Order: sequence, then C-alpha cells, then structure tokens
Amino acid sequence: MRRPWLVGLGLATMLAATVGAAVTVGSTTTAWTDVYRVFAHRLLGLGAAPDPTVDRIVWHLRLPRAVLACVVGGGLSIIGVAMQTLVRNPLAEPYLLGISSGASAGASLFYLGFLPPLLSKALTMPAAAFVGGLASITIVYLVARDGPRVSVARLLLAGVAMSALMASITSFVTFSSPEPDKLRAVLFWLLGSLSGARWGLLPIPAVVTALGLAAMLILARPLDAMLVGEEPAQSLGMPVEALKRGLIVLATLVTGALVAVSGAIGFVGLIVPHAVRLLAGVPHRRLVPLSFVGGAIFLCGADLAARTVLPGQELPVGILTALCGVPFFLVLLRQRAYQFG
Amino acid sequence: MTHRCFGLLLLFAVMAGGCEDPSPSDTSRSVTDDLGRTVSFTPSPQRVISLAPNLTELVYAAGAGSQLVAVTSSGDYPPPVDTLPRVSALPVDFEAVTAQEPDLVLATDQINAPGDTDTFEALDLPLYFFSFTSLDDILTSIETLGHLLDTEPAAGDSAAALRSSLDALRARTDSIPDAQRPRVLVLVGDDTLYSFGRGSYVHTLVEVAGGTSITADIVSQAPTLSDEYVLQEKPDVILGLWGPDYDPDRLLDLHPTWDVVPALQNDRVLSVPASLIARPGPRVLEGARLLAQHLHPKRFSSLPPSTDAVRTASTSGPLTP
Repeated sequence: MRRPWLVGLGLATMLAATVGAAVTVGSTTTAWTDVYRVFAHRLLGLGAAPDPTVDRIVWHLRLPRAVLACVVGGGLSIIGVAMQTLVRNPLAEPYLLGISSGASAGASLFYLGFLPPLLSKALTMPAAAFVGGLASITIVYLVARDGPRVSVARLLLAGVAMSALMASITSFVTFSSPEPDKLRAVLFWLLGSLSGARWGLLPIPAVVTALGLAAMLILARPLDAMLVGEEPAQSLGMPVEALKRGLIVLATLVTGALVAVSGAIGFVGLIVPHAVRLLAGVPHRRLVPLSFVGGAIFLCGADLAARTVLPGQELPVGILTALCGVPFFLVLLRQRAYQFG
Repeated sequence: MTHRCFGLLLLFAVMAGGCEDPSPSDTSRSVTDDLGRTVSFTPSPQRVISLAPNLTELVYAAGAGSQLVAVTSSGDYPPPVDTLPRVSALPVDFEAVTAQEPDLVLATDQINAPGDTDTFEALDLPLYFFSFTSLDDILTSIETLGHLLDTEPAAGDSAAALRSSLDALRARTDSIPDAQRPRVLVLVGDDTLYSFGRGSYVHTLVEVAGGTSITADIVSQAPTLSDEYVLQEKPDVILGLWGPDYDPDRLLDLHPTWDVVPALQNDRVLSVPASLIARPGPRVLEGARLLAQHLHPKRFSSLPPSTDAVRTASTSGPLTP
C-alpha cells in the first residue's frame, strides 16, 4: 500500500513541474524572471505591472493552454479507463464508440459550410462537434441495445462501423471543399490541437471533466467488479446494465466536450491507463485518480514539445502524442508484469 | 531543401544561356525543365494545358493564351479563361487531360506532385515542370514560356514591361532606410497562422514594397506560427491574404491577445486577394504596389490605383481566345 502513495506524490510533483515548464518555455523565448513577475503580479498583486507582451504570452496564452492540456489529457485518460472496463478489452479507448469521428464529421460539415444555413447559424464549431459526436454514439447505442441489455460485442462492432462511416463523411466533405484555407484549419483541428486555448473556453471542459472524475471515483468499486465479468458482477448485486449505460453517457459527455475544444487527440486515452496499471495496479480507486494526473502530465508535456520543437511555430499536438509516449510505454511494458483485470 | 534550391538556381543559369539541346530535329524539340527533366515535344505547340492558376496567367502574359485548350479548375484569371474547359489538377484528372490531346502540359512543383511525371511519361504526354523560388523566376518563366510556345516577341515585351515596372518600384523603395521600413507579417490563414518561411519570393515582394518581412528567417517553408511569436515580433503591418472584403476585427476576435500588437493597435492590417501575393504570376507586381501604398502612403500617393504593368502584360499579347 505504500507504493501507490509514492507514485501519487511523484505524479503530483511531476504535474507541478510540467505546468511550470509549460508556462516558462514556449515557441518564443521569455526570461523566467519575467514569467515569475507575471505570476507575482497576477496572483499576489506584487510588483509593478509586467510588460504587456509577456503578460499576454504567459497569462493569456501559455497558462490557459497548459490548464487545457491537463484537463484534456486527464479527461481522456479516465474515459480510457472507463471504456476499457466497459468492454473489458485493453484496446478500448475514448474514441471507440465513434465519438471523435462523429465530432470530426460534425465540425467539418459545419466549418466547410455543408449544413443548412438555419442550422449553422445556431451552432459554433465546438457545438457542431459535440452534436456530431452525440449523433454518432446515439446510433451506436440504439444498434447495440438488446431489450433492456446492452450487448458489448454489438457496441464494439457498431462503434467501429460508425467510426468508419463518420470518417468517410469527413474525408468526403474535406475533399470536395472548394476553400483551401478552411480546409487547412479543419485539418489542424482533425489532428488534434490545443492552440485555441483561452480562459473563456475552459469552464465547460473543466467542469464536465471534474464531474466525470468524481463519478468515476464514486463508481470505483462497481468498476472493479465489472472487470471480473458481467455475470459475476451481477451475482455480486451490481446493477450491471445501469452501470454500462451510465459509463456510455459519461464517456459521451466528457469525450464530446473535450473533442469539441481540442479535436481528436489520439493515443492519450489508450496508453495512459495501461501505463498507470503497470505502475500502480488495477484497482480503480487508484487507477482513476492516477490516470487523471498521469494523462494531464503527459498531454501537457506533449504540448510543450509541440510548441517548442520548431522555433516560432507550433505543431498540432496530436502529431506528437504517440511520438512522445510510445517509447516510454514500450520500455514499461517490457520491464513489468502486465495485468489488465 | 537548400540543396534542391541551389540545383534549381543552377538549372536556371543553364537555361538562361539557352536550354535547347544542340541537335534540333524537325519533328521534336527537347528542352530541360526546372526539375532537370528532359522534355520532348512538337515545336510550336498549339494545344497546351496549364495545371496551375499561376501558369495560366503566365501563359497569357507570354502572349500564348490562345494556345491554351484547358486550364485547372482553380484558374480564375484572366477573364478569357472562363470559356476554357477545366481539368482537375489535385489529383490530376488524367482522363480529362488525355482527352484534350495536348501537345504540351505545364505544371509547377508548388501545386503539382512531381511524382505525376511518371504517369505523364507513360501516357506519352510531354510535361514541363516550372519551379518558382524567386521573384526573378516569375519574370524568367514568361520568357521561357515564350520560348516553349513560340511567342518570343510578345513574351519578351511582356517580361520587359514587368521588369521595368518592378525596377521602377524598387527604385522608389530602395532609398528608404531600414529604420523606416515597417516590419511586415504576411499571413495565409487568419485562424491557423500559416505563413511563408525561408526561401519564399514573398519576402522579396515585401522588400520591394518597402517593408521587411519578419518570417524570412524561419526555417520551414510553410510555417504555422504561434500566437506568442506574433506577440514577440510585434509586426507593424499585417498583410493577410484573405481577400479585399476582410474585416480586420475578426483577427482580434480570433486572437484576443493581439490587442498590443502594433499592426492592430494602429489599424494597419491590409487584406488583399491571395492571388496577388501567393500566386507566383504576373500580378504579384500589383500585390507589391498595393502593399507599397499601404506601407508608405505618403511616398506612393501619386501612384494610380490600378497598375499599368498588368495591363501592359495582358494587352501586349493576343488575348482573344
């Protein structure tokens, strides 16, 4: 029992360090004393007002972006845990049920002007993405429903099929779009990027993710039982079907809200839960909070790389997540005994 | 990348000296294109297809517009192209191209995939690839086109007219000291900040217009800039390629932190049609003049609003299709 706390403490320290690095370093060079001055002035009201340029870079660009990276990374990781437990398959990830491809289709249909004007006036790009994800998973759910039960096998297959359908709609729309500039903007979004981060965008994803985290913590014991199998869980008195439906709703809301602001950032929700299982074990009361912190660190770090690899420029973070994470994960996988359920 | 550019420059030097092979035959002519490929085609081609909008404009500038039988679907200038059949260039619609039975197909590595050359060879369609890395390449290409399409006198006049307009503009801006040259940021996208990096002729264009382009030293050719880069660099002027109807307030909506950037504080955001800057054709001169007027309104108040250079270019050759 001592080790999980050690891991937790280590992760918390790493999170603080990563966020610190993320606001100090960026695509341009700022002196760390200037960064420190901005924080002293903003948080404690100490010292003179900092240079407006540095203030904007640190307080309005880097900090909200680091916070968004933490929210998105943490949120996707706990939903990864939820999906892996729901379908009891290590390959499950937050986008399994077609949420991200549905969101991508919604966003590109909206952005490239393929929606009827009445509809597109009422929506914004994040809202269109959210609606797209919701539409996709609703269809998947209706297909997978078997009377009062939800068939996991049908859920998986319908999810994969729906993802393919939505991806092909996205490709069709982007390919037939006459406007190259908008196309590039959509592409940036499809790859997954945190570049739109500002304070005003943060509340919705942050609140939804916090609620998701709380729900997952409350459900820790039922989730443990789910891992043993649906029938044993049922015989233990768990409301399995209600739990499954609850997890699907939870995954839809959190993933939808996150994809809407950052695009489909891949890999985090798949690998972080496994890495945490390798380090701290399977029980959900540890797995959920540690996955959240681990995902936050990971995505914040990957985004730091995305902002600093090329001076003055930025890459969509989705390009770098696998690049940053896979070597670490492979080493971990090789060195430790892996246990899923 | 620099390696290739250097190679291309060398090629241009060779071409300027005369790119024709010393063994001309009656039925076929061989030339070397900008990618270093040997292209054989029937002399004085009358059925020409342009696979890029800038090449279409350059063909008209070279006085050979009447020899075009089809242009790419994004070709929108000069007006006579509206009557020509369209072929898709991305990806190349090989069936449509073949159906036009062209004597010569023109492409540029800015738009077309150099890998397409194999398919064109298999179809036995002569394909000439252009490459545009400097402002001079644009002028030279008009002469090259005149040479390829047998309209040398018209092309020569047109290139000379453009060159003298360019020199005239340069002469007016050369005397501007560095301190008075506004720092210009050229943006392709307003949301995602695509721009031009090292090696682009766009920086020369800005310089000719009397400014300094701040992205000239960025290593990648098509960089995606970060918001904080723009904040740090503090451009005096932002030149956007978003068309003449763009509302500069949108820029502040998309990037609220830019309220301290001088270009936005002093209301110096200029938006022009992308084809006047990013399309390496005869109208870049018009783009440079618009920018010059915006950068130095006092010096250029006497300039006529529309450019005579473009007019010269389009009327010196036969325009009627």
